[in-house]
Amino acid sequence: MSLFFIVALPFFGALLPGLMNAAGRSACAGVTFTVSLAAFIGLLTNLPSVLAGDVLTARIDWMPSLGLNFTLMLDGLGFFFAFLILGIGLLIIAYARHYLSRDDNMGEFFTYLLLFQGAMVGIVLSDNILLLLVFWELTSLSSFLLIGYWKHLPEGRQGARMALAVTGMGGLAMIAGMLMLGQIAGSYDLSVILENRALIQTDPLYTPALVLILLGCFTKSAQFPFHFWLPHAMAAPTPVSAYLHSATMVKAGIFLMARMWPVLSGTPEWFVIVTTAGLVTMVLGAVIALFKHDLKALLAFSTVSHLGLITMLLGTGTAFGAMAAMFHILNHATFKAALFMSAGIIDHETHTRDIRRLGGLRRLMPVTFVIATLAALSMAGIPFLNGFLSKEMMLEEATHTVLFGTPWLVPALAISGSLFSAAYCFRLIGHTFFGPVRDDYPSNPHDPGPGLWLPPSILVTLVVVIGMAPFLAEPFVKLVTASVLGNAAELPKAYFKIWHGLVPALFMSVAAVVGGLLVMVVFTPLLRLWETTPRPEAKAIFDALVATAVRLARGLILPLHNGAFTRYAAIGAITIVAAGFHAWKTGTVAPPTREVQAAGPVLVAGWLMLVAATGGLVFMHRNRFFSLILIGIVGLMVSIGFIFFSAPDLAMTQFTVEVVTIILLLLALNFLPKRTPMESSVLRRVRDAGVAAIGGLATFTLAYHYLLRDAVGTPISEFHLANSYKGGGGTNVVNVILVDFRGFDTYGEIIVLGIAALLIYALTETLLGGRVRARLLNRKPDQQRAGEMHPMMMVVLTRVIMPLVLMVGFYIFLRGHNEPGGGFIAGLIVSIAVVMQYMASGFAWASARLKYPYHGVIGAGVLIAGLTGIGSWFVGKPFLTSDFTYVRIPPFEKFELATAALFDLGVFLAVVGAVMLSLESFSRLARRAHMPESEHPMDIDPSRDDPPHLETGPAREGA
Amino acid sequence: MIQADLNIILPEIVLALYAMGALVAAVYTGKDRFAGALIWLTAGLMAVLAAWIGITGEGTNVAFGGMFHDDGFARFAKVAILLSGAAVLVMGQDFMAKRDMMKFEYPILVALSAVGMMMMVSAGDLMALYMGLELQSLSLYVVAAMRRDSVRSTEAGLKYFVLGALSSGLLLYGASLVYGYAGTTLFSGIIAAAGEGQAPLGLLFGLVFVMAGLAFKVSAVPFHMWTPDVYEGSPTPVTAFFATAPKMAAMGLLARVLHDAFGGVSADWGQVLALLSLLSMFLGAVAAIGQTNIKRLMAYSSIAHMGYALMGLAAGTAFGVQAMLVYMAIYVTMNVGTFAFILSMERDGQPVTDIASLNQYAKAFPGRALAMLVLLFSLAGVPPLVGFFGKLYVLRAAYEAGLAWLAVAGVIASVIGAFYYLRIVYFMYFGEEGETLDRGTAPVSLVFLMASAVIMVVGVVNLFGIETAAQAAAAALVN
Repeated sequence: MSLFFIVALPFFGALLPGLMNAAGRSACAGVTFTVSLAAFIGLLTNLPSVLAGDVLTARIDWMPSLGLNFTLMLDGLGFFFAFLILGIGLLIIAYARHYLSRDDNMGEFFTYLLLFQGAMVGIVLSDNILLLLVFWELTSLSSFLLIGYWKHLPEGRQGARMALAVTGMGGLAMIAGMLMLGQIAGSYDLSVILENRALIQTDPLYTPALVLILLGCFTKSAQFPFHFWLPHAMAAPTPVSAYLHSATMVKAGIFLMARMWPVLSGTPEWFVIVTTAGLVTMVLGAVIALFKHDLKALLAFSTVSHLGLITMLLGTGTAFGAMAAMFHILNHATFKAALFMSAGIIDHETHTRDIRRLGGLRRLMPVTFVIATLAALSMAGIPFLNGFLSKEMMLEEATHTVLFGTPWLVPALAISGSLFSAAYCFRLIGHTFFGPVRDDYPSNPHDPGPGLWLPPSILVTLVVVIGMAPFLAEPFVKLVTASVLGNAAELPKAYFKIWHGLVPALFMSVAAVVGGLLVMVVFTPLLRLWETTPRPEAKAIFDALVATAVRLARGLILPLHNGAFTRYAAIGAITIVAAGFHAWKTGTVAPPTREVQAAGPVLVAGWLMLVAATGGLVFMHRNRFFSLILIGIVGLMVSIGFIFFSAPDLAMTQFTVEVVTIILLLLALNFLPKRTPMESSVLRRVRDAGVAAIGGLATFTLAYHYLLRDAVGTPISEFHLANSYKGGGGTNVVNVILVDFRGFDTYGEIIVLGIAALLIYALTETLLGGRVRARLLNRKPDQQRAGEMHPMMMVVLTRVIMPLVLMVGFYIFLRGHNEPGGGFIAGLIVSIAVVMQYMASGFAWASARLKYPYHGVIGAGVLIAGLTGIGSWFVGKPFLTSDFTYVRIPPFEKFELATAALFDLGVFLAVVGAVMLSLESFSRLARRAHMPESEHPMDIDPSRDDPPHLETGPAREGA
Repeated sequence: MIQADLNIILPEIVLALYAMGALVAAVYTGKDRFAGALIWLTAGLMAVLAAWIGITGEGTNVAFGGMFHDDGFARFAKVAILLSGAAVLVMGQDFMAKRDMMKFEYPILVALSAVGMMMMVSAGDLMALYMGLELQSLSLYVVAAMRRDSVRSTEAGLKYFVLGALSSGLLLYGASLVYGYAGTTLFSGIIAAAGEGQAPLGLLFGLVFVMAGLAFKVSAVPFHMWTPDVYEGSPTPVTAFFATAPKMAAMGLLARVLHDAFGGVSADWGQVLALLSLLSMFLGAVAAIGQTNIKRLMAYSSIAHMGYALMGLAAGTAFGVQAMLVYMAIYVTMNVGTFAFILSMERDGQPVTDIASLNQYAKAFPGRALAMLVLLFSLAGVPPLVGFFGKLYVLRAAYEAGLAWLAVAGVIASVIGAFYYLRIVYFMYFGEEGETLDRGTAPVSLVFLMASAVIMVVGVVNLFGIETAAQAAAAALVN
């Protein structure tokens, strides 16, 4: 049968059990069994060609651009594992049919089981390592579902979580290793990779790749230090434990090590890591298993121990070791699955798996007794059972292995491992089946029906047959070994025999069995000793690790992300400065190309004022009026700075903008508390001061650095200077930039300005319609109002000034194109003039005299500017192209007319409108707040006879 | 000539006109009563536009003298943006209706931001770039603060606005530097000025600022600060939107600028991106571990995912762009599903975002739990789910571009990241007994949850062919 079918059958078959759920439990199990059987038979049809030494392949391109192809390969090794997976799978399915109770959803269970089976078969048949990864993680996923099948058991939860966390993360680590491997070999196909032993082992990435791949293998196969998850996953139903945690899934790591053996093994790194991990696991697992009271936990740790044994054998890197490993995989699969099923039977019948509550089952469950005893003795390494043979080979290999330069280390550990292994096997048999029959079993035990005992008995038959006649298994194991070795090593000559003569391995074996019996004799004191010895508990360590990780993550992140803006700003500023500092330290700095200019006294005085104002602002910003004044000083100094650098335009703009904004802010302050409350702690302010100082220094350094050097490229201003008059008809470059070069920009800006003003208007409107209104009405000013609302001096002065200022504005506007000035500045100047009227004579008086609504003024400005721009379309030029000409109207001098002036008019109007509209909006708030507003423009007007003030009225009259 | 230009941006015009028309129409008629209908209408229009762009678009068309590019890359991104936007719009409707948040402005703002995003991925000029970016961002600022009576929502909106404005400032500063040293804002001019190999210092300065500004938008570390707060504070449907379409748009824009305007100096920006990617992956992975709020967790998750997408981009090759596009498409799909799930999380009618509230979820709702399990495994990048292929793509792109260290770091980060995704799974399947969540009555989000889970599984076959589309898109961008 095609390899595709073998892999695909379980996956497609997984749809069936769910559908058959209604048809009954037997139908459900039956269909699952049929699917597995079909795949099994399909596999067997390929046996002849595998036996002939052929490697079957099948290939479909899946995602070629990723190097991911659906390539399958069947050789001896693949066949061996697929045989185990499907063969034991069949037995497990039969067993599970009888094991699961009526309440369990059988369709769900078998669906997961088939998914898992398909994934496992996929792993062992993959020829593409990416494909292998896909199947690898699929086993994690489906095993997670299987372990979690009995969701109601609380102990299952922790186990599932650990299993998932450990194997899942290991699998992800393996992805990195596989990617490296594929990149080194230039292909992700195993058949190519396996040919490139020399190339891979000499690559500098070999060690990281090896470590990452081994991480995946060790986590999956529960090797030290990742051995802890397997026993905790045992809360799953027994068929799952038997299938996943003894026969198949945990062997996936072993399989991969065997698969990669030709290219990865043989180096010191491989030898040290793999052999050490294997040895430690073997001994550790065996010791822990001895003292476990839960049958399944005992078996789980024994599985860990045996997997360690196999890992150790693969780690030695010799052909004999590989052969022993393959043989032991076969033997372990048979006896361990049988033992798990027996444990399941005992659990099923007695309703307990606690060894301390069992005993004497020999008489009550004779069939189970025979099966379990044979399997356990095989595990203990008793002759004429298959476990003996491979254990003998392991001991033989151990005597030839030198680890860390000490020849006795490996044999000694191997013996102690075997010793404890024998001991727990004897304990399993002795404490469960021997001893007196008890009368307090949780349930009345008796042998189950054949549905439960037949599957393990088939396995035990194999145990005995191979144990008696090892030559039967020899050709097959050698075939498998040959495909493991590839062309990296010669197939060993050794024969499988029960009797090898009086070799060291035999003595070691005898020592182990005798030692195991001795341990059983002194078991009770040993157990007491074990229970009083403090030892690290894997689960506790895992929990602690998780908790530490969470705590660490929190500790790292919470201070960074506490939601406070100031902190984000501080972190950002420091990061940027640090990056800049790094660049400055590591990069090359060109020498300065400019001289430092000497600072004159005026400059120093201005600078001192600026610094003083800024510093004062920092210290006194809580008094808002005061800080406003200081801000004004800063603005003033900046404006003077512009003048100093010969930029009168900017200076004028800055002046006027300063005045307008300060006035607006003053108005706004009217409604705000006079002081900013203090909220931050001293420490916080010190920190902020530090960050600010660092930022300021960095900015200063950067600016200083660049001021001393010529620009890298030609500044854009050259272009403007050259084209200002030619193209824009003006000698004031700034104004030409505003209305011509970047006219579009300015056009956008005045629109934005208008929108902003409208928005302020709309917002105050909305506010006044809502709850704020009541608050305003009830507002009590927190400071005494000045008695004189509209001082006469000011009123008079502003009225006198008004035409003058308008005149200045007009003048500034007109000269704009060639001299400092322009629509923007003129707009601001005119606005100031009008604002002064409001301030001096009151809102009512001033607004009564203004005929044009500000909305309209803004709109007119934008429209004029826009129409000017559109005008250029009529002469076939792009939007906002300006033109100018000279006209002479007697008796005036010849003067220039530019379309830009019209555009500037738009700017002027928009600015006036926007400033005034926002101002008006603010004063509307004030009016609603019922601030006393006199009807007269002047409180004291000599030309008017005011009645006496009300508050003084009655008292005076009485007098 | 203008006719031809307008034809090219017809989809954008249609959507923009629709948004403005709908705004006016809704203001003068039923206002919020039409919100439900408007949501469906907007989503429908966006889906239709996506189909239109995806099916009829062909070749490379340049409009407005190079300011607007309609090519394979732009179309790929636009389809993803429009479809995810439409999905998220529809998905959140039930949530909003229940919590009295049905404002007719919501779909309109989303449509406007979609216009901005379409503009972004098509930008061929710094001006067009900024215009698109701001249109998108301004709409999003408002949407984030849509729940004006909620302190969290307004705070989220304000934070997003302030930091977004800051990033826009950085970007503008960079853009002006680029303009100053290249003498043009057109990408085609900038790429000529930047030359091959090493960009002039001034341009490099500008480039770094532009990248910093865009890194804010994709929330790459260290410009990610806003993400957790905004994700957590915004109403969940809005968060879902943030996590999908804008990310795609920002990534698209970044790729666009880097390749179209600075394609010759890929080594210069590659190292910056590699660093951003590294930091994002690790910070996202580590920070998510300690989170208890699923929205905040998804924020960190998105930071980490952006790190992976940036890894593809950092490769600086056509394959890298392809990897990034595939990654983003997969990421967006996964996030739509995940947020559909989060939207359905409620207890006693109130939305819940605490991860611990998912205890024993699988027992009560096995189907949804399974779908979520698939999505979370996919987010973690566990094979064979589709999320794995995205990761594989970017890892390979980085590896082949000589960034082996970055690829390895990416895998390590994904191992760390797996932890918190699996933690949610753990809670759902093996959590403590406790009060479970409500059944919820949102068929739409349920449909999206299931659909995206199914995509994660079925997509394994051939990724629905987006590979070839992404390849063509990448080829259109990188040459």
